Amino acid sequence: MAEGTRYLILSLQGEGYAIPISRLLEITVPRDIQKDKSLSEMFEGKCEFRGKFVPVLNLKKIFNLPGSKGTALLMVQSAKGTMGLLVDEVSEIFDTAQKPAPVPAGVLNPSMRYYNGILRHRDNLVLLLNEDGLLP
Amino acid sequence: MTTNYLLFLLSGRLFGVKLDGAIEIVPWRPSRRVPLSFSYVEGLLDYRGVVYPVFNIVQQLGLTKPGPIGFTADEPAGARSGQSIILLEVKKNPFGIVVDSVVKMTPLTSPTAGTAKLQGVDPKLVQGIVYEDDNEIMILDGERLLHAG
Repeated sequence: MAEGTRYLILSLQGEGYAIPISRLLEITVPRDIQKDKSLSEMFEGKCEFRGKFVPVLNLKKIFNLPGSKGTALLMVQSAKGTMGLLVDEVSEIFDTAQKPAPVPAGVLNPSMRYYNGILRHRDNLVLLLNEDGLLP
Repeated sequence: MTTNYLLFLLSGRLFGVKLDGAIEIVPWRPSRRVPLSFSYVEGLLDYRGVVYPVFNIVQQLGLTKPGPIGFTADEPAGARSGQSIILLEVKKNPFGIVVDSVVKMTPLTSPTAGTAKLQGVDPKLVQGIVYEDDNEIMILDGERLLHAG
């Protein structure tokens, strides 16, 4: 049975990334992100979500990409807890039966766990994010 | 014993790779960038249903200085015109290398292990040197290119 998987397609610097819808709790606009000195440098801050504070990551900062903080905030459930992810924009829901292709050998240090593979979407390659590997 | 090699130019020097199975040569084109990849990885190229990582081997071999860490402005489009990407496969791992120009395909005797003349090239990535018509051809080790990390 070829059951499709649904992904949210988002963009950073004009290039596409995917995250499984099953891990997505909410798409919102960046609001009330508070600085928190107890969080490490890599965090943008924290924000309130469903009555609790969750850490917010700026995905472009994590990936060493330039540009502003982004216009969308995704609340994502990871194995290490709920987190907010700032991204440039979200474009669409993508339903596909594709099995993600592995990132080829020789590209990344094997200790990097930011991606779960590659998907093809409208003639472009989209990197599938590993939501469990983003939090330290 | 002779084997077929593909010869190409990089920064004015002659290099070769062993031809082993299918090979494609395409004009340079932008690749899909992968954040936090190795600095010499240009990105991923989807070509005829295969995803190839594309390596900037000039940088990998140490023939140029690495760029600044982090983001740099895109190079002007003209800078890349004329370059080619050689798409090859080593032990079932497809990958591409960016070269200045492809010279020819030619049978050569197996390279000797000499590494005396490797000025300015990372010797780990070189299998040996072959001389042909007074030209010094550095034969690259495809497997090590893939796992240079």
